[in-house]
Amino acid sequence: MKINVLFSDIYWVFWREIKKFFQQKARITMAFVQPIVWLVLMGNMMTGLTNNPMAAKMLGTGNYIDFMTPGIMIMTALFGGVMGGTSIIWDRRLGFLNKMLSSPIYRASIPLGKLLAIGVQIMLQSLIIVVLALILGVHFKTGIPGVICLVLLSGIFGMIMGGISLSLGAVIKSMESLFAITNFLTMPLMFTSNAMFPISAMPVWLRVIANVNPLTYATSAMRTIATQGWIFENIWPGVLFLFVMIIITTSIAIRMFHRSIS
Amino acid sequence: MSHIIEVTDLKKVYPNGVVAVDGVTFSVDEGEIFGFLGPNGAGKSTTISMLITLTAPTSGLAQVAGMDVTRQPMKARLAIGYVSQDMAVDDALTGYANLRIQAGFYHIPRNEAPARIAEVLKMVELQDRAKDKVETYSGGMRKRLDIACGLIHRPKLLFLDEPTLGLDIQTRREIWKYINRLREETGMTIFLTTHYMDEADSLCDRIAIIDMGKINALDTPANLKSSLGNELVEFQFSPIDANEIQSAIEKIGKLDFVKSVTGAGIRGYLASVNNGEASIPAMFEALKDGHAKISHILFKQPSLDDVFLHYTGREMREAGGGKENAARNRIMMRRARK
Repeated sequence: MKINVLFSDIYWVFWREIKKFFQQKARITMAFVQPIVWLVLMGNMMTGLTNNPMAAKMLGTGNYIDFMTPGIMIMTALFGGVMGGTSIIWDRRLGFLNKMLSSPIYRASIPLGKLLAIGVQIMLQSLIIVVLALILGVHFKTGIPGVICLVLLSGIFGMIMGGISLSLGAVIKSMESLFAITNFLTMPLMFTSNAMFPISAMPVWLRVIANVNPLTYATSAMRTIATQGWIFENIWPGVLFLFVMIIITTSIAIRMFHRSIS
Repeated sequence: MSHIIEVTDLKKVYPNGVVAVDGVTFSVDEGEIFGFLGPNGAGKSTTISMLITLTAPTSGLAQVAGMDVTRQPMKARLAIGYVSQDMAVDDALTGYANLRIQAGFYHIPRNEAPARIAEVLKMVELQDRAKDKVETYSGGMRKRLDIACGLIHRPKLLFLDEPTLGLDIQTRREIWKYINRLREETGMTIFLTTHYMDEADSLCDRIAIIDMGKINALDTPANLKSSLGNELVEFQFSPIDANEIQSAIEKIGKLDFVKSVTGAGIRGYLASVNNGEASIPAMFEALKDGHAKISHILFKQPSLDDVFLHYTGREMREAGGGKENAARNRIMMRRARK
């Protein structure tokens, strides 16, 4: 395998996805609108919560928006990532997949290029969230290096979800079934995590679930960076988890893709 | 003579037991336009899919441009171009961007790509629209762009799967013009599949008639037509009992100037004859004692349609009548031929 050819193949698959992303005005608009709605609406609704000193202690910050911002980044990555599988189903339906397969590109470059595109799209969305959050007065404790970490971690999380979605898209072949499965996954994942509520405010049974929820790992690490600073013992489990997961899900995606075309 | 495609006993059986391609053998010469003609589901697309390395054959050998499709797929892919029947171009992107991606997939060096793109755009006359999004293109323009994508790496051999599927008649003619010109200007070998008789007739140097996974005939369009004899009589009966019709057909089949009789779906029956228009009164004479009466009769020169009918025993497009009817017709025809 020639590594530079592989990179070039991945690049062109990636380039196509990104180019298509920027042509879809609705998606770009939503990338702005969605975080505004979440930040403004949720931030405003929950301000009463932080007036209560107990609640403020649970949130770990005096401002609900501060607490909420990393949660919204993760949610955006979650919802954006699970949509990733649709591109492979579309390509199959429109015959573009066969067009790519009949060209001399490395097979693995198709899922890898698509994943990379998902990661970059999500990092862009995260960056938009950061900018909006700054406008709304959110304070990032770790400054610019922290923001870079947040954006990278949300991109990685998006690629993990994208890998799962691509694996499903490779086998399922129907858009409707893919949506049914991803909807079934995303909602419970979100509501049983600490993306929106602190674990300490949860009933015990939910805490048990939240503690094993992958979303919680990612959120905890990111929230520590955003609201508390470089407290490494709170950050490394999440970061390690994300790195292990992305290797696993990406390998599965490549494998499933290979299997679906052979 | 060098063969650019060499296929020996190629077979594809899908895991569900369906035999899509049932041992086909053929070769294509360099510079030829070679056509696979057959109805939907005959095995045309599966054959193409094996030749372009997308589907692994169950057994048999296939070489394209000197490369074995199962052992050297990467090299084979570089030597061939493929244009699917799906018009697989990205609507949201410009024509130029579509070609740029394709150039990337074929590892064309960055500094060479713009010249290559200009070259293929000129070939399909889309230079003026290259900067427009594909969603603003007409059906014919999309198809031309798709063909241009298949040409970007200057392949020796181009596969066109149903190149004019779903296009209107003027657009089809226009696409034919581009295909013909492509061969003239580049000397490229073109392998195409089609289920349009007129397309095979006007484009192909040689045609393989494929049905139910097997090649039934392979020759130039002219030879295929003359193999039927130069004259055909198409006739229909007035509505009557099927047994009566069968015995009438047997009577006609026994006439010494009749070479063969085949069923032609709703068009009735087709007799290949060698005594010119005199065959018509002679056929009436032969049937005068029976109950079956001919209601319509027509004397004509054979078309590729008739050739297809003759070799596969069924009409390309069963126009109505339902499955049962078609099955009955087939049984009748088989009997009549014996």
